[in-house]
Amino acid sequence: MTKQTFSRRRFLGTAAAGATVLASPVYLRRANASGGEVNIWTYNDFVPKAFKEQFEAETGIKVNVRLVDDQGKQFNLLAAEAPNPSVDIMTVAGHRFLQFIDSDLLAPLDTDRLSNWGNINPTFSESDWSTINGHKWGAPILSGMEVLAYNTELVSPDEVKSWDVLFSEKYKGQTAYVIQDMMSIIMLKMGYDGNMVEYLGDPDKAAAIVDEAKEFLIEKKPLVRKYYDGGAEVQQMFVNQDIALAHSWNGPAAALINDGFPLAMTIPQEGSYGFVYTYNIANNAPNPDNAYTFLNAILASPEIGAAMTKASGFISTYKGAADYLSDLEKQSTSFTDEELANLKFFRAEANEMKYGLVDPAVEAIKAA
Amino acid sequence: MGYPDMSDETAQGARSNQTKDDLSGQTFWGRLAGWTPYRLLIGLATASPRRQFLVLAALPIVWVLTQHLGPMLQMLRVSLTDAYPVAPGVEQHFTLDNYARFFGDRIFWQPFFRTLIFAGVFTFCTLILTYPVAYFLARHVSRKNQMLFLLLLLVPFWVGEIVRTYAIMILLGNTGAVNQLLKWIGLIDRPIPFMYTSFSMGVGIVYLTALYMLLPLYSALEKLPKSLNEAAADLGASAWTRFRRVTLPLTIEGISSGCTLVFLISTGFYATPVLLGGPSTTVFAETIAGFFHVAGDEWPTGSAFATIMFFAALVLTGTFQKLMNALRKGDSK
Repeated sequence: MTKQTFSRRRFLGTAAAGATVLASPVYLRRANASGGEVNIWTYNDFVPKAFKEQFEAETGIKVNVRLVDDQGKQFNLLAAEAPNPSVDIMTVAGHRFLQFIDSDLLAPLDTDRLSNWGNINPTFSESDWSTINGHKWGAPILSGMEVLAYNTELVSPDEVKSWDVLFSEKYKGQTAYVIQDMMSIIMLKMGYDGNMVEYLGDPDKAAAIVDEAKEFLIEKKPLVRKYYDGGAEVQQMFVNQDIALAHSWNGPAAALINDGFPLAMTIPQEGSYGFVYTYNIANNAPNPDNAYTFLNAILASPEIGAAMTKASGFISTYKGAADYLSDLEKQSTSFTDEELANLKFFRAEANEMKYGLVDPAVEAIKAA
Repeated sequence: MGYPDMSDETAQGARSNQTKDDLSGQTFWGRLAGWTPYRLLIGLATASPRRQFLVLAALPIVWVLTQHLGPMLQMLRVSLTDAYPVAPGVEQHFTLDNYARFFGDRIFWQPFFRTLIFAGVFTFCTLILTYPVAYFLARHVSRKNQMLFLLLLLVPFWVGEIVRTYAIMILLGNTGAVNQLLKWIGLIDRPIPFMYTSFSMGVGIVYLTALYMLLPLYSALEKLPKSLNEAAADLGASAWTRFRRVTLPLTIEGISSGCTLVFLISTGFYATPVLLGGPSTTVFAETIAGFFHVAGDEWPTGSAFATIMFFAALVLTGTFQKLMNALRKGDSK
C-alpha cells in the first residue's frame, strides 16, 4: 500500500504558488453569460454563498444545490436516476470513486477544459487515487481526516496520544464514534491495513481481521456513550457535554474550535485515515457545459477555497487558501508533522471485499 | 292598474337575464356546459346511482392505489429482486434470499424484537400517562374550555418531529434543563446521563405519540354519559370500582384505537431513536436504514426487512384488536 503523508508545509504553506493565482475577486475573466442552470449535489457549506451569488450574477447560470449527507445515499440517488440523471455535479469522496465509476455514473473529467486546474495543490490533484483507468474523475476541493477530538477542559493532551483513551474506564460513557470509520481505525491500531488492500488475495485473513476488530468493539461497547453518523451529532454532544472525547472528522471538530468551544483534535500515534472530497461530473449530465463553467469558476481563487474551509472546517485543497484564514482557523486546520506522519489515505481497491465484511460487522456491533 | 305593468317588468327582467345567459354562454365554462359531447359524458356518468358512486369513488381509489398501496407494492417487488436500483448492463432476478438473510442471521433478530418490545412498552407508558389527561379533559374541563385545552395540547404538533426531538435533547442533556434543575435544587452534584439511553428514547417517543393516544381516549371518554357513574355511585360503588367496572370497559374502544395507532407509529420511528437512543437501543428502523444508505447500498435487503416489520406489526395489532374486541364483548355480556 502506498503510504501518503502530508507535511504541514505542504498542507498550508503554499502561499508562494497561491499568490500567483487571481488577485481580483472576479471569478470569470470574460463575460460568459451562457444562462441555464447547473444542478449540484453536495454537503452543507461546500458551495460558499457569496461565490454562488456572484457566479449566478456573472454567468446567468442558476445554481441548484441539493444537500446530501452520505456517500452511499448519493450513490443510490444517482443509480436510481441513471442513465439520465438530473444532476450535473456531485461530491464524491476519493475513496468511493471506484463504486461510481464501475456503475458508469461518472464522466471522466476533461481537465483541459479547466484552466484553473493548476490552482489545486498537486498533493491532491496528482495523487495516485485521483487517476483511475487513465482518467481524472473529480476536482479535489476539501480534504478531511479521522481525528480524535477532545474537550480541553476535561481531557489533557497527554491522554490522547493513543486511540486507547477512547476505550478507557476513565472516560466510560463519555465517548462517541462512527462505527464504520472506527473499524478501519481499529484495524490500523491492531497493526493491519485498514484499507484491506494487502489482503485482496487472502479473503480468509481479511475476514479474520474484521472479526477481530468487531469483537474488540463489541467488548468495548459498555464504554461508549453513542454511535453516531453525522458531524452535527458529535458537535451537539460536545456542546451539551454529553461526551468528553470522540472520534470525529476534522471538519465538524474544527468548526467547533472556530466557534470558540474548548475543543482540540489530534491524530494519535497509531495513525489515522484521510479522505478527499471531489466535485465530479455525472455521466450524461443534463448541463455539462455549465458544469465545467461552474467547476472552473469555483477553482478560480484561493479565497473561495478558504471560504469553504471557514464554513465546513475541512481543509482546502487549493494552493494558498490558508493565507485567507484567521490564526484560529489556521490552527484548527493544521497538524504537526509528528501527527501527520502516520496519516494514510482511504483507498478504494478493496472496497467491495472490505465493506462486504465490515457492513455486517457494523450491524453485529450495533445489535450486540 | 299596476299588475300588467309589473308582469311587463318581469318579462323584461327575464329577457335581460336571458341576455346575460347568452353572454355567459360565451365564457369557457358556459361553452363547456353547452358542448354536446360534454353533456353526453355527464349524462353517461350520472345515469345511475351506481355510476355516480363509481365516478365519485374513482379519485379516492386512484389516490389510495398510487399514493398508499403503490409504494408498498413497489417495496414488496424490490424485496423480491437481487438488484435495485438496476445498474446498466445488470440483469435483475427474482429471489427470496433477502428474506432468508433475516431468518438465517440472528444478528438481525435482536433489533427486530427490541423494536417490538420497545413499541409495546412505550405504548403502555403513553396510555398510562395520557389516560388521566384525557379523563381530566373530558370530565372535569367545562365544555367551552375543552377546545382551548385541546388546542394547547396540539401546539407541539405545529413543529416537526426533528425539532421536537431536539427539544428533548435540550431538556435531557448533561447541561440540559432537567440536570440544571436537579443541580440547583441540590439533589445531584454531577449530571445524570439521561441522554442516549432507552429512557431518553422512551421520553421522546411518548412525547411524540401522546396526542395519537389522547384524542381517541378523549373522544371515548367524552361520549360516556356521566349518569352511568352517578348510578354506580348511588349503588354504592367506590371510585376505583366505578372506574374499573364502568369507565374503563366503556372506553376500551378508545384505548384499542389509541394503542394501535401509537404502537404502529412507534415501530416505524427512525429519527428519534437515532438522535435520542444509545449503543444498546438500536431499533429495526435503523437496521433497515443501514441497508439503504449508511452501510451497504442494498435496497432489496432493506425492502425485505421493511416488509417483514410491516407484516409483524400488522399481525400484532390485528391480534391486539381481536383481544380488545373479545374483552369488549365479554364485558357487554
